[in-house]
Amino acid sequence: MKEKKSYDVILFKAVSYALKAEKILKKEGLPHKLIPVPKHISSDCGVCIRFEPEIKSKIEAALFNKVDVEELRTLEN
Amino acid sequence: MADIKIIDARGLSCPQPVVLTKKALEDNARVTTIVDNETALENVKRLAGKFGFAVTVEPKGKSVYEIHIVRGADFNKDQDFVASCQTGAAPSGPFVIAVTEDKMGRGNDELGAVLIKAFLHTVAGQAKKPDVMIFYNTGVTLTVQGSDVLEDLKQLESEGVQILVCGTCLNYFEIKDKLAAGVVSNMYDIVETMSNAGRLIVP
Repeated sequence: MKEKKSYDVILFKAVSYALKAEKILKKEGLPHKLIPVPKHISSDCGVCIRFEPEIKSKIEAALFNKVDVEELRTLEN
Repeated sequence: MADIKIIDARGLSCPQPVVLTKKALEDNARVTTIVDNETALENVKRLAGKFGFAVTVEPKGKSVYEIHIVRGADFNKDQDFVASCQTGAAPSGPFVIAVTEDKMGRGNDELGAVLIKAFLHTVAGQAKKPDVMIFYNTGVTLTVQGSDVLEDLKQLESEGVQILVCGTCLNYFEIKDKLAAGVVSNMYDIVETMSNAGRLIVP
């Protein structure tokens, strides 16, 4: 509501993948945030990783071939 | 088009309006319930929400509402619905959340760490914010520099949520100088806040 801008999230098949990705992004020093999967995407109690669209390519490069990513989505806030 | 079953629940006390509405939905695809108070309105709306039914509310004068519900395809009528019959305002006393650990729930710590982050992020995004949040034991580590939830805690603080952080605990972990959200507090404040709480949640 406050931030009108959109942001990107990475969705994973399982929580363990999200954790693995979080560890890698932390190590790489890429800003991100673990958040609950927004309700309108899934009603499961899942987590996903949110990040600023500007570093999308860096995030993708960091996780490429390391973590199984289910989907990358842009969300309107 | 199927007939609309009309339930006139005016003058009925909680949980009658919601009970009658649910009963009517068992035999009718479209139900309109007329209520004359906000509690009944919220309960009937919640009922429809829980089962995923389309609901529209039409205000009809002072505290009177017509609630139109269209039943969805997958209605499990055996599923219970508990009406909230608390009359009037919320329980007196502040809404307090006590974060007692740096994780949520017991069993698996790695998972618990993920859950507490998701919990705090969700609390920060919720309309109904707590009045006070208390952090103690390993929970205090969430309030210091380097914590993944600082952004959420700071946002809560900026919106008026009081964040009390156990000083003894900060001291024990030797991180008092790293406190980045909330204020250092003590057992007197913590006990007093908990004792006066209208609602106390421990994630």
